[in-house]
Amino acid sequence: MRARRLVAVMLMFLPLLAAAELQVVIIEGLGGEPRYAEQFAEQVSAIESAAGGLTSSERVSVFRSGEFTRDSVIAFFTQLENRMQSGDRLAVYLVGHGSYDDHEYKFNIAGPDITDGDLADMLDGVAGGQLVVNTSSSSGATLDRLKGDERTLILATRSGAERHATRFGNYFAAALSDPSADLDKNRMVTAEEAFGFAERQVADFYERNGQLATEHPRLEGEQAARFSLARLGAARQAASDSQMRILLARRDALNAEIEDLRLRRDSMAPDDYQSELLNNMFELATLEEEIERRETELDN
Amino acid sequence: MNVRIIFLALFLAFANSNLHAREIHYGAVSHADLLVCDQLHWHGKTSESAACYRELLGSDVPAEVHAEAAWALSELQLANRLFRDAVAANPDNAAIRVRWGDLFAASHQDGEAMNIYREALEIDSNNAFALLGAARVLVGGFDDEANIYLEPLLTDATRDEGARVAAWLIVARVSLESSNQRQAVDAMDKAERILENSDWPPLELYALRAAADLLNNVTDSSYTGLSLEYNPVYGGIYAIPAHFYVITRRYRDAIDMYQKSVDIEPGLARAHEELGINLLRDNQMSRARKHLEIAYEQDPFSPAAVNTLRLLDSFENFEVISDPDLPEKGVLPITLRLHRDEAAIIAPYAVALARDSIAEFTDRYGFELAEPVVIEMYPDHEDFAVRTAGMPGIGILGATFGYVVAMDSPSNRPPDQFQWGTTLWHEMAHVFTLEATNHLVPRWFSEGVSVFEEWRSGPNPGVRIPMSVYSAMKDDRFLPIDELDEGFIRPTYEEQVIVSYMQAGLVCQFIDETYGTEKLKAVLYAFRDGMQTGEAITTVLEISPATFDANFDAFVEREHGTVLDNLDDWQRTQQSVGQHLLSEDWESIVGLAEHLIELLPQYIEPDSPYIALARAKEALGFQADAIRALERFWRNGGYDPGSLNKLAAWFNDEGRTDDAIAVLQSVNLVLPLDQEIHGTLGDLLIAADRPNEALREYTVALALDPHDKATAYYRMARAHNALGDREASQGQLLQALDVAPNFRPAQRLLLELMRADQGSEHN
Repeated sequence: MRARRLVAVMLMFLPLLAAAELQVVIIEGLGGEPRYAEQFAEQVSAIESAAGGLTSSERVSVFRSGEFTRDSVIAFFTQLENRMQSGDRLAVYLVGHGSYDDHEYKFNIAGPDITDGDLADMLDGVAGGQLVVNTSSSSGATLDRLKGDERTLILATRSGAERHATRFGNYFAAALSDPSADLDKNRMVTAEEAFGFAERQVADFYERNGQLATEHPRLEGEQAARFSLARLGAARQAASDSQMRILLARRDALNAEIEDLRLRRDSMAPDDYQSELLNNMFELATLEEEIERRETELDN
Repeated sequence: MNVRIIFLALFLAFANSNLHAREIHYGAVSHADLLVCDQLHWHGKTSESAACYRELLGSDVPAEVHAEAAWALSELQLANRLFRDAVAANPDNAAIRVRWGDLFAASHQDGEAMNIYREALEIDSNNAFALLGAARVLVGGFDDEANIYLEPLLTDATRDEGARVAAWLIVARVSLESSNQRQAVDAMDKAERILENSDWPPLELYALRAAADLLNNVTDSSYTGLSLEYNPVYGGIYAIPAHFYVITRRYRDAIDMYQKSVDIEPGLARAHEELGINLLRDNQMSRARKHLEIAYEQDPFSPAAVNTLRLLDSFENFEVISDPDLPEKGVLPITLRLHRDEAAIIAPYAVALARDSIAEFTDRYGFELAEPVVIEMYPDHEDFAVRTAGMPGIGILGATFGYVVAMDSPSNRPPDQFQWGTTLWHEMAHVFTLEATNHLVPRWFSEGVSVFEEWRSGPNPGVRIPMSVYSAMKDDRFLPIDELDEGFIRPTYEEQVIVSYMQAGLVCQFIDETYGTEKLKAVLYAFRDGMQTGEAITTVLEISPATFDANFDAFVEREHGTVLDNLDDWQRTQQSVGQHLLSEDWESIVGLAEHLIELLPQYIEPDSPYIALARAKEALGFQADAIRALERFWRNGGYDPGSLNKLAAWFNDEGRTDDAIAVLQSVNLVLPLDQEIHGTLGDLLIAADRPNEALREYTVALALDPHDKATAYYRMARAHNALGDREASQGQLLQALDVAPNFRPAQRLLLELMRADQGSEHN
């Protein structure tokens, strides 16, 4: 009875999605021990906060540990099927412990666990680009069932055989607010950047402690570099100001030029490349200065 | 049995059938025709003996005699086959098995040799040469079980006399290695008395006599002449004494002796091998390779030769860095040989530390280095072990051969096991004590000075004594000063080497604090003048060794009596702290940790009570107390990187930038491969207006291939800019922006630089 009521509550908050909208779903598994429960709660909080900077709070759905069932999650995704369109994006986080018995992966929650089959069924029915971040032990076992053209997978382990509790989730969640994870310094942390940050931190941890690594994160899919997960700093309010729109458009064009320059790098003499890069960078820096100035004017 | 035959056959299939050692057998074989050939060989009549063995090989003699002739002619495959046939034909003949075992032992297959000796003893439990062979193998492996096999030969005069000669020569050799000259002379005298009435050659005896002379600083031993007269091509007369130069760390003298050895006996593979290894210790790489390759050619399965040649091959992965790059008047360069993956990271710190140590020790010990110091660091401990001893499996962290220092690199071990900066400091002290005394310093004093300098002037100063050593001190296991070297060379219990290190360090501290640094220096120079420990103590300190020991005991009691009296309490309380940490019972931890600190304030290992106290105080909300606890930990020489990083952050939060910098610099000497620490330290140095030092940290951070490269380049740009080098700064900025075009801080600095350039052009 309680489960059914929870499903009803979740469905009430499910938003009607506009085109190219981002929906974030966070599922928190059982901790088992207080220290894991605490860690999982912190990770969920960090992910939720990061998601809140990218999409409206109505589109961030959190299933907190002990407060939902397998059925309620399935029901939620069934509703999503009807609401999401091909241009939309879905990010699903599984934060918790997983297990694998050489046959089936299970994400540990209260009551019946969520299996890799459940996840595949839930996700296959939802349209749009998808990112699944599964930080649980044995999460590598889900790869074959979940991989797909429009789906990017980030898994804490390379296979189901890596059964120990993972550290990956802690580092992945930390990446969402750490400026050093933002490698291109565009104040957005992409799935690729967060994965790279966490992967390195995991490797450093085991090396630093002289331990054999019991987890090897993996990333599968082509969209990770274009899937933003967190914004560092406040979003720019451009829509209402025509001057700002022009400036931002110019900046986008200049960034495109720089990208084009980088692609031509190998065919250029090094000095020519450096010279052109310097000019572009000077222009971009000047433009950014103008954008900041305009922001200040708008704030005032 | 089949397995053994296959193994040796495989080995021999690859072996060069040129020359192989068949050492003096002292009657282990007794066939008259063979002895005729052997006598020719022992008298250095090389061509005659070879012809004799060849003739014997073609004559109608038993298979085991054929085997001996084949062995003497270095036909090892044939010798093995013949011994196998002889054993099959004479399964109850222990003597033939013994010689087969000797062939295995000479082929570096000690395990197989031991198995055969045991089989021989099962057939004939009184077989003297089986006992001898087993003892020889076990002595080579530093195994005390050797005594079980040796004792019957030494105590029973009815045993075979030849085996007894060889047994006494083993005793003499081990006694000389243990600096027990009286016992060595006694053993040699006993061997000589038997030899006088036999036909066995006295060559090994002469060589050991010459070695004993050498250890008494008699370098022109009369026994050398006697040996050359008996056999002008017996290389052992130089190679055996050379070994004693090696174990007393007089490597250049050893090189000269080994060279003489191979000059008169070019086929002596072991001498070529030792010559090569010791040339490496003197940084003579190409000459070393030449002799190692000769050794390998003559004895391809000698593990030491193979390992060392492989190590030399691996040097292509190392960079040689000289500082300064170009010769400067009055400045001896420091040469580093570092793995290319680490060279850019470690070199700046290693050079700075080495220079600091040279300045410190030159001043303190009044000795100017005469040659550049070469420092090698190995990321793979086994490479370091091979570099040091020719074989893997040694447990030390660093070794000094004079002006050449070899050690584990910081990436070799976790930081809680290895403070690389302290190890380098320790080894640099050895450079001084060895060179100031022409390598005559006894092991205990050289180690003592190194340990004492770690405590007094090292990068992580403070007296650090492991708990296991306190236990040994409590059990009164320190040795008399006259016998302290034994604790290093022939330890009698598991932890005696580390106990001896600490005792030696305490002895030097005692001399320094009680008699003064000048006296400590004077003891060093007494060793240079050829004095032994007792004489040096008596001459310099004007007290007998016995009085010295008594005074030292009183010093130890004064300095460490409290902790020794409360050792059980300390250990119980420490365990209790560990349990309370698990249950996070912070209130209890405070009292217990404070009690531990009161008993032993200098205990700063990773389980130090200072760390527990700081954690407890922090958890209870008393951050100032937590900072104080970690500050005491750090100032006492604590090196746990996690704790020091936290302390640095706290110092920084409190505005104690200089202290934060000093703490992170301490971390670098333990954990130099963490790019975040270099970045943070660089930021602090920039804030403290120390851009030169910041640039070094940022350069190292960049060399560590950071994940966030844009920030690393930007930091470099800031440091260059602070140093007034706009061009370099702009270059780094472009690299940062190439990675991250929208990186605002980099954009701002670029605008600042370009506008400044435009401004100066307009002006």
